[in-house]
Formats: sequence, C-alpha cells, structure tokens
Amino acid sequence: MKNEQSELLTAPYAQNVYPKSLKHLFRKTIRPTARLCRFLRLWPALLTAPALAQVAPPASPSELKKLSLEQLMDVEVTLVSRTPQKLSEVASAIQVLTGADIRRSGATNIPEALRLIPNLQVAQLNASTWIISARGFNTIFANKLLVMIDGRTVYTPFFGGVLWEQQNIPLEDVERIEVVSGPGGTLWGANAVNGVINIVTKSSAETQGAYVSVSAGNFLKNQIDARYGGRISDQLTYRIYGQHFEREPTLLPSGDENRDRWRMTQGGFRVDWAATARDQVAFTGNFSGGARYLALGKSRLDGQNVLGRWTRRYSEQSELIVQLYYDRYYRNDANATGSDRLTTYDFDFQHRFPIKNRHSILWGLGYRLARDFTEWRTNTTAILPNRKDLPLYTGFVQDEIALHPKLKLTLGTKLLHNVYSGFELQPSARLAWAVRRDNLLWAAVSRAVRTPSRLDVDYFLPAYPVPPTQPSVAGGPNFVSEKVVAWELGYRWQPAAGVHFSLAGFYNVYRDIYSVEALPGTLTYQIQNGSEGESWGGELAVGLQVSPGWRLRGGYTYLDKDLRAKPGRSFNPDYLGNDVKNRAMLQSMLNLPAGFQLDLIGQYFDYLPKTLATARVPSYLTFDARLAWSARWLELALVGQNLAKDRHIEFGTLYIPRSYYAKISARF
Amino acid sequence: MRLLVTWLLIGVLAQARAQPMPASEVSVKAVFIYNFTRFVEWPETAFSSPDAPFVIGIFGADPFGSVMAETVAGEKVGNHPIHVQRYRDPAGLADCHLVYVGSREAEVVREMLASLGRRAVLTVGEAVPFNRMGGMIRFLTRNNKIRFEINASAARAVQLNISSKLLNVAEAVN
Repeated sequence: MKNEQSELLTAPYAQNVYPKSLKHLFRKTIRPTARLCRFLRLWPALLTAPALAQVAPPASPSELKKLSLEQLMDVEVTLVSRTPQKLSEVASAIQVLTGADIRRSGATNIPEALRLIPNLQVAQLNASTWIISARGFNTIFANKLLVMIDGRTVYTPFFGGVLWEQQNIPLEDVERIEVVSGPGGTLWGANAVNGVINIVTKSSAETQGAYVSVSAGNFLKNQIDARYGGRISDQLTYRIYGQHFEREPTLLPSGDENRDRWRMTQGGFRVDWAATARDQVAFTGNFSGGARYLALGKSRLDGQNVLGRWTRRYSEQSELIVQLYYDRYYRNDANATGSDRLTTYDFDFQHRFPIKNRHSILWGLGYRLARDFTEWRTNTTAILPNRKDLPLYTGFVQDEIALHPKLKLTLGTKLLHNVYSGFELQPSARLAWAVRRDNLLWAAVSRAVRTPSRLDVDYFLPAYPVPPTQPSVAGGPNFVSEKVVAWELGYRWQPAAGVHFSLAGFYNVYRDIYSVEALPGTLTYQIQNGSEGESWGGELAVGLQVSPGWRLRGGYTYLDKDLRAKPGRSFNPDYLGNDVKNRAMLQSMLNLPAGFQLDLIGQYFDYLPKTLATARVPSYLTFDARLAWSARWLELALVGQNLAKDRHIEFGTLYIPRSYYAKISARF
Repeated sequence: MRLLVTWLLIGVLAQARAQPMPASEVSVKAVFIYNFTRFVEWPETAFSSPDAPFVIGIFGADPFGSVMAETVAGEKVGNHPIHVQRYRDPAGLADCHLVYVGSREAEVVREMLASLGRRAVLTVGEAVPFNRMGGMIRFLTRNNKIRFEINASAARAVQLNISSKLLNVAEAVN
C-alpha cells in the first residue's frame, strides 16, 4: 500500500515534472507580433491554468531522438494528470537510492546500502546489529523511523525500532530505496517521527531469468544468492529466490574476536498478475531462519511473511488499493536469556480520487493486530504481561490543492488509535512552489508521534515486586506518546535527470520524550515522559552525471540539538541521542573501457560524545572500493570495505574490521 | 586550474543537456517508433520505387496528435522519406510499412492484423495479447518507463529483419 504511494514520491525526484513556464512554451512560436501572440495565448491559458500546468511535456521529440535505445529506455514518462500529485508530494526531504546505485556500491545488505543515504546515520554495533536513524535520537533502541519493505511495516512494536538483522532481501532485486527525513506521520502512520524508509523490490516481470551470485571474504564470510524469474502467461509473472550468508565476528578492544558471528538462510517469492487492464495483483512471501553465535550460546531467529495487494486503477487520478499481510518473527537472545515472538496481521485500504481539477483526495483506513509474546528465563527482567495484543486502528485523509499552477498546498491528517495511548492525531501542511522550471521551494509544518512500545510500558526490573526501598524499574504505566512538531524548509533544483541538488533545513520541537525517573521518596523507577528538547539541522544532497560513464552522488548533513529534562525532573537524556553533528558521503561510479567499473565511496562520521550509557566514539573517515568486470552473462567484482583503517568503532566499543570480498555473478 | 573548473562546469552543463529529460508518454513512444525504423530492415520489395515514401500508419484513435509527425519530420528510411498517415479503415493499411494501433480492443487488433496479410509491415501495438495475436512489437509501461516486447518470428515470417540491438533491449522476445 505505502509502496504505491511511494511510487508517486519517487517520481518527482527522478524527473522534473514542473510545468514549463508559459513563456518557454511559446518561445519557439513567438516571432514578429510576439507580444500580441503571447497575450492572446496567455489569456485562455491563465483561465485554465491548472489544467494547462499538467500538460507541458518537458522533453521534445528532437531531444529524445538524440538518445540511444538504452537511454531512451531509461526515460521516465510522466503520466500527465498524475503530475500535480508528484509535484506536491516532493515537498519533503526525500532521497532515492536506485538499485543500480546499490549494486555499484558493493553493499552486501540493507544497512550497508542505507549508508549511501547521506542524511541517515548508520552505525554497526556488532556483527549483527545496526543502529540507523535520521535527524537524531540514535540509540540501540532507535525508535523514530518508520521502515517498510514492499508495503510491509518492519519496525517492531516491541521497542519501536527495526531489527535490521532480520531484514534481508537480495539487493539484486531491489528497485529502489526511498528515504524521507522528517515526519511522515500523516500518510505513513505511527513512528514516522523523524523519517520513513521505504524499500521497494522490482516487479517479477523485471526479474525474469536466472541469476546466481557467490561471494566470499573475510568479514562477509560467504554469501550465495540465487533467483529464477518466469512467466506463466502474458499477465502472470513470478520469481523465487534463495539466499544464504555467514558473517564473521567483530573485534573486541583487546583485538580478540568477539563472539557474534552469525548466519541466515532465506527464501521467498513474488507473483505479479495483471488481472485486467486496470487490476494489478501482487503476492510476496519471505521465509528465513538463522542463528547468532553469542557469548552465552546460540541464539536462533526466524521470520515468515506473506503479503497480497490488489490495485485497481480507474484513471490516472483515481485508484484503489487493498492490502493484506501476515508477518511473524521469533528471536532468541542467549545473552539476555530472553526471547520474543511477534505475529502481525495487517489490513490496509487506500483510495485516491480528484475533485474537479484542483483537488486530489487521498484517504485510507488500516487495521493492524500485533500479538507479542516475550519470555525471560530469569526473573531479573521481564516484559509484563508476557503476552499482549496490540491492536492499531488508523485512518487518514489528505487533500492536495492546486492554488495556482505553480503553487500546491497539501493538507492532511492521520488519526490512529493504539492500545497504550488511545487516539493520536498527526496533521501536516505542506506548500510547494515551483519557482521556475526545475526549481521547487517547499515548506512544511507537521506533527508526528512515536506511540508507546512494549519496552516503554511493560518493562520490569526485576520481574517480581520489590519494596520501594530497593531499586527497581516498574514499567511505564503513565507513559504517553512522544511528540514532535517539525518545521521544514527545502529547495530542490533538478536541471536534468542525472543532476540534482537539494537542500533541506528543519527545526524540531520534541515534547514528552522518554525518561526513567524514581517515584518521589522511593527507589522505584518508572518510565515516564520527562524529557523535552529541540533539534535543528540541514541536509544537502547532490547528484551529478559528470559524463555518460561517470556519476557522482553525495551529501552532507548537519545536526545539533538541545535535549534536557523537563523543569523539575531529574533525568539526563543525553544517551537517547548518540548523534553525529557532521556527516558526509560521496559515491563515485565510473565506467572504464573493456567492461570494467571502478566505484569508490567516501564516508565521514563525526565523533559521538560520551554519555551515561555509552562510550565516546572517535570521528572516522573511511572508504569502500569496488572493481568489477562484466561481459555478457558474467560479472566479477572485488570489493574492499572500510579500507581507510585496519579497524574502527562505529558505536559502543566493538571494532569493525577492514574487509574484502570477491563476488561472481551470472545471469541467464 | 581555472581552465579545469571552466571545463568541468561546461562539461557538466553539456551533459545535463544530453541527459534524458522526463517526457510525455506519447513522445517517448513516438521516438521509439522512429527508432524501430532504424533497427528494422525492410525488403526493398516493400517499396514501389527507390524514393517512394516510408509510411507510418496510425490505425484508429491517434494518441500522438502532432507528435508523431514532428518526430519523423525530415527523416528518411534509406532513401524513403517518412510520412505519417492516419487510417480509420483497415483497407488502406496495405500502403504502410509500419502500423501503430493504440486500441486495446482485441477486435480492432484482429481486424488490423488480418488486413495486412503477409505484407512486410511492422506492427506495433498496446493490447496485452498483441504479440500473441500475431503483432510484432507491443509497448508496455513499467515503473513509468516504456518497455516493449518483440515477436521476432512474426517479423521474420514477413521478411522484416530486426537487429539484435533492438532484440537485446526488448523485455521479452518470442
């Protein structure tokens, strides 16, 4: 479902759909009586302005004729009347990472791919744990992002964050990853406080034939990917895939190996069926199992999910989507002597339709039931009750209003009801102004909430009641949602498909942020909402097609914040945000003669200050390199990751080693 | 140094111009059709004289408006200047070298294909079963990009030679 919305989100990024200025439109025809002509043509045009704004095709046949067949295949077509939708939805800090960018990076899994997005902070804690956030609040329990894979929400209501080690999909099949930094609560739902990550895989029609790849190296010990895509009829295509990998441990400060090596085996399918000219049905499923070999024993994890989505398109402006999915995961953690099993049933409905020429309405309803079962084998900690149902009801409505051919206002709100904090409202207003062709200035103000999770409300230490004279944590019975009001301003310039420049600034006001405080006169601590603060920053992203065979993309992000206890409260919230102040990334993709490719990535992460709960992490500069050679069906690649230093820390105290791997891929 | 900077800037801007710009669906399709005339070989017997026009026929509703004519204005296939003609009646299609039918109605497609018989006419369509019904190139849209499927055997049967370059970029060849 969200998947579908996001296609719209991407579209404006990948192309410029801003109306050409009227002047530009008529330039070619204006000769002697230019002024009169212009006036005569402008007049009716102004009257029907919104309609006209939608029909200016940006590229002329003569420009298109200069393109090679391959380039022509890459041209995105603007489906005329969808244009305004795209225009206004880009009124947010969106970045899109294409499947090609990912494959050229040498990334071996989703977290590594997300390092290519300059406004995300990505840190590897140990061999199987990644901490990822946007616009701050980076902690082990980073919980302010909404993450989706093919329409399936993958953050866990257990703690509100994402178990990245469980999100393995073959990167070969990834169509694109969209990252919106800033609130996305209105359309996307709870948890989209600081950003939305939407991972979209290719349609099975685009992954026809066989693909096999084998990698081997020192940190990524081995990885095998295999996929076969077939066609049952013109309307029905499918693919099946399998993946297996083993990953080596990180290093302790002493230089010895940590005990955290792990392995996963996964398989899945996708079926796409064009049932009729206007109905599209997709089924996906993923099944995985694996183990982490931790210090205190082998910890199993497994997951299963199936999803079905039906899209009916009445016209370019009007469509209806119904989606259902089932998702289950189980994970054991030997070190924590606990396990968690979560089963989710989700239903979503979404409808879009225009009202006259000026309004485009998008509304939807959703129901999600998550059933959690958490078990601790000792009584030092507990999640109580250990079984809990977490029903979530959502509804949203958004109106996109064309105020003027160049000015779009989007107003919307989401209303949700969750089991912990009841009703929550997440409204937003976005304004997009197409200053000139290829130039967009946008501003937005939005409110979003991070709803309570099991770990906020139901967390007990120890598991049994103790007198108030002894220290204990007794859940968060009064914990409410954390809230943000975000003010954003952005500018995007995209003179051509491969070239873009975007700048976004934000000022976020957070209220009712997490705290752990003792009840007055006791040593009984409860999880409360005793923190507040502000954060501000800027995000720059650029892409540049230097020459047909050389592409650069990169960016820089600045973030600063002031987090504190509310007046009269005693809690130091520093450890809730182990955030880098400065972060930069540059990716270079260069085609060499004779089928060679040379790709380089430079990364800079600022230092992380020491907090109560975490060690100081020095700033680091690192780079990855990939050299590949391909001929027809075969591709060979050598990849080096984190080459700058022998080893470095990204979060906590464990070292990530310099790593290498070789990869052979074949397509038939 | 300054020279380098200038070069970089100019290079980048020039590249920017050369980059694919977003385009309306019909202009991309029109340019694809133009490209088909470049990557398909017609037997000389398909032309009545060495400088007879190469006729692109649009059968039924014309989604292109003036775009098709603009795209091929002044262009030639070998020595044959390209003309664009619209047809309502399938009887006239015999004069064409390439026919585009935008209709998704099986009946319309069947009528069009039947009227061509075994003439060396490249048929381009949109209907889902177009190629199965004997059509040669079917357009489809995936992720906002135009793709096409080729029925190479149907083309070969009427002595149209499709270059491997075109076959390579096609989504499915049967």
